[in-house]
Amino acid sequence: MKRPTLPLHAIAWIVGAFILIPIVYAVLGGFKDTSQLSTNPFGLPSPWETGNYTEVLAAGSFWRQMWNSTFIAVLTTIVTVSLSAMAAYVFARFAFRGRELLFTVFTAGLMFPFAVAILPIFVMLRTLGLVDNAWGVILVQAAFGLPLTIIILRGFFRSIPGEIEEAATLDGCGPFAFFWRILLPMARPALATVSVLAIVGSWNNFMLPLVVFSDEASWTLPLGIQQFQGQYSSDTSRILAYLVLAMVPALGFYAVAERHLIGGLTAGATKG
Amino acid sequence: MTTITRRPEARRLPAHARPNRGRRRSWVTITLFVLPALALFLLLVVAPIVVAVYASGFKWNGFGGLPTDFIGFDNFTRLLESEIFFTDMWHLLVLVLLCLVVQLPMALGIAMLLNQRIRGRAIYRLVFFSPYVLSEVITGVLFSLILSPTSGLANGILGLVGLESDFLADQDTALMSLFVVMTWKYFGFHMMIYLAGRQNIPNELLEAARIDGATGWEVFRHVTLPLLGPTIRISVFLSVIYTIQLFDLVWILTEGGPAHSTETLAVTMFDIGFGRSQVGYASAISVVMFVLSLVFALGYQRFVMRRDLEGATTAMGDTR
Amino acid sequence: MKRTVTLIAAAVLVAGCGGGEAPQPGSESGAPQKVTLEWWHLSTSDPLKTVYEKRAKEFQAANPHVTIKMTVLENEAYKSKVTTLTQSGKAPDLFATWGGGVLKQQVDAGLVKDISADVAPVIDTFTTAALAAYQFDGKTYALPTDIGMVGFWYNKKLFEKAGIAEPPTTWSGYLDAVSKLKAAGITPIALAGKEKWPGHYYWAYLAMRIGGLPALQQAAVDHDFTKPAFVQAGQQLKALADLQPFQKGFLGAAYSTPDGQAATVSNGKAAMELMGQWAPNVQIDAGKGLGEDLGFFPFPAVEGGQGAITEAFGGGGGMAVGADAPPEAIELLKFLTSEENHTKAVAENAVLPVLKGEESAVKDANLKIVADSLATATGFQLYLDQAYPPAVGAEVNDSVAELLAGAKTPEQVAQDITEVAKSE
Repeated sequence: MKRPTLPLHAIAWIVGAFILIPIVYAVLGGFKDTSQLSTNPFGLPSPWETGNYTEVLAAGSFWRQMWNSTFIAVLTTIVTVSLSAMAAYVFARFAFRGRELLFTVFTAGLMFPFAVAILPIFVMLRTLGLVDNAWGVILVQAAFGLPLTIIILRGFFRSIPGEIEEAATLDGCGPFAFFWRILLPMARPALATVSVLAIVGSWNNFMLPLVVFSDEASWTLPLGIQQFQGQYSSDTSRILAYLVLAMVPALGFYAVAERHLIGGLTAGATKG
Repeated sequence: MTTITRRPEARRLPAHARPNRGRRRSWVTITLFVLPALALFLLLVVAPIVVAVYASGFKWNGFGGLPTDFIGFDNFTRLLESEIFFTDMWHLLVLVLLCLVVQLPMALGIAMLLNQRIRGRAIYRLVFFSPYVLSEVITGVLFSLILSPTSGLANGILGLVGLESDFLADQDTALMSLFVVMTWKYFGFHMMIYLAGRQNIPNELLEAARIDGATGWEVFRHVTLPLLGPTIRISVFLSVIYTIQLFDLVWILTEGGPAHSTETLAVTMFDIGFGRSQVGYASAISVVMFVLSLVFALGYQRFVMRRDLEGATTAMGDTR
Repeated sequence: MKRTVTLIAAAVLVAGCGGGEAPQPGSESGAPQKVTLEWWHLSTSDPLKTVYEKRAKEFQAANPHVTIKMTVLENEAYKSKVTTLTQSGKAPDLFATWGGGVLKQQVDAGLVKDISADVAPVIDTFTTAALAAYQFDGKTYALPTDIGMVGFWYNKKLFEKAGIAEPPTTWSGYLDAVSKLKAAGITPIALAGKEKWPGHYYWAYLAMRIGGLPALQQAAVDHDFTKPAFVQAGQQLKALADLQPFQKGFLGAAYSTPDGQAATVSNGKAAMELMGQWAPNVQIDAGKGLGEDLGFFPFPAVEGGQGAITEAFGGGGGMAVGADAPPEAIELLKFLTSEENHTKAVAENAVLPVLKGEESAVKDANLKIVADSLATATGFQLYLDQAYPPAVGAEVNDSVAELLAGAKTPEQVAQDITEVAKSE
């Protein structure tokens, strides 16, 4: 297949520049001090000031927020994916009265933006005693993550041919064994995909942790960023350093998980 | 009773799903598997919706336990008569159109590009998707620094060619600037979906078309694009739903200003509920948003996605 | 079906709002029971941040059975969070408030403790102006920690450069000065258009100078903002905006960010800003600072108006006590505002005097002017976005922002505010 690759590269480069420049600006900006940032906003830092980064890294609060974000993201993912997988299995491979109705109820949840429900949700969490508790964030995020996850997983589960299930049934596999021993392993790419989506969603959530946590010790990174910006509003380079450091885990995680993500989005349907 | 999948060869159902056989066991499984998700969903999603619907019938400042001042549909008529509602709807329309005309084609184009065997495509893929994994808070703070009219990076670059702008600080350019930030943040997500959809198309099909003498564009137009139909329809759907609910990014960048020029329904709702303590009225707005999304979703599924419905989101159905 | 829905909603709401989990201190046993105090405030930057941390430590040292749990949030986050919490039927034990309409709503909902009796012994040490925002129907619901007024903070050097010898005392003189600054190539005014509240100062002050204090008080009662004074205030503000006196991109500018209102003045890129007593601190924080070149003058009088130049517009900050809070919360509040402690905070330029005779502790020359103007003021009006119910205050901010952006006429502003006020 011979194709002119130069124009393709040119387009990719232009879009790439559009995406990368803001991030590079932030990374370099973090290495300047504020006066450098105003006199030399676009060039390379000179000298390279590492103080902004090291000071943020030396602060315990940054690491605590990182840990909180990680903890909440991991548990949110486990809850979302396990509950969704179970429900999606039923929606995909069982025929029963009211199935479509029930499925529609779940998908309707996709239409309800989280921000508009924040007050009733908060009231609910207080009733359940989940305010100032990581589970308050985890369970709400999981609940709102169910619709999309179920939709995606149902799609994958459906695409696995009935013959496999029949064969398994003939081998004496009950529905639970089929789910656990055959379906889930086969759907691993799909599970990876929805896990990445759940982790990203949780990692970036701002409103919910803000409302649920009062104690600074429980804060997540987005809360920390806003607070940091309020506290050092004049010190742009410091804020940039904080932003960059807060980006690193998400980007790093994504770099590792990327293969699974794209693989998961594609594999389910064709293979099997 | 529905069948499991629509493929003819799959109509022979496995024993536990076949009607009248092992039915009771089936019900136990169904209940056990759906109940946890359903309970969580009812408690934390459905119940709050019900509360919002209930509160939308009251004039209520959110304080003091239960709302008491029942005013029927007044909150809704008030909203429909207000100028801001139409402003918000207009912004929604503009943003959706821009997404359809600019953002999604761009995502599709790049996805096709990255599907080629061009060098470094793994890196490109990584780069293009990376903004999606960054939080709205980070994106918002970063771009409010970059788009600053006086000291921002954007004017520094555009100034070289004499194209300076006030971006978010000018009523006439604010919505466009917001859209640019949205594109930066979200186009990678759609690109990923397209990439996935594209990889589901067997290469043999495309090869066959090429052997028949079709040009690259013709292959794309007559083979790839139709086969991507379900994927594109899903991407459009998600794009519209997310635009209706757009909040975080706008709130951090502009708070809806200047002079409401970037306001969305969600921002209006938040401002009224939190800024003005008119919780009843704000609930009415959230109900309207919900109904709007629902009507769109139902209509879209009924008229646009009908053929895809039986298949899954990314399943390679619909080959006809 | 409808009934069921109603019942579920009612159950959820009722369940959410049953209070009464207050810790019961001072039980029958001799030693005081352990108490945890939730203290929320929004002083995220120094000097006040450190001052409060010190006080908390001192209070705990003096009262070993008390543990103070401080939640310090940035302004916007603080507002959202307090709103969510109070609307759900609870309040922190001790929390920052601006008083006025917002506090009144919380009081009406039974969330704030009436501390009149507890603070009776010390109430006379506070100045009347400082207390005004926290008293309703003769009862006290919070104690002030700061009070100040809004006025023009200007750059003496730039005024001199434009040939303005004395700060203007009349509105026409003011417009004249703006034109002179423009002619000299200087941006006359910095304004944070994104945040809306700084813009409302202009409209409020103009209404006050044109209609006098009674006009603003009357409007709070009859909800009519279409009277001539308010329309004229809008017209005068429009006249100012038509001169295009604000910095480039002011509609998107925030207040304390690196290119915001405070930094613009602080770096000498605009000649003045209309701002409260915290302006010098924020200027230093956000930019280079003007040092000796920074001056203060009160909002000029409008010719033929009812209001005098000696009437002040402003507000401060206070701390309110939650309805279910243990008595220690009131003790902490009294501790913070005791003469000894508060004067220390004043001396650090963290806050302005709220206690009688504290003026002498003010060190900064400009803050001294503010404190003195306040002490000799012939009338006082609280910020409109605090004085009126939240919806009305927000509409004032919104409408004035649109007026400044050229999206609303002065008449529309008056009408829209009236409409919201009447619907409250």
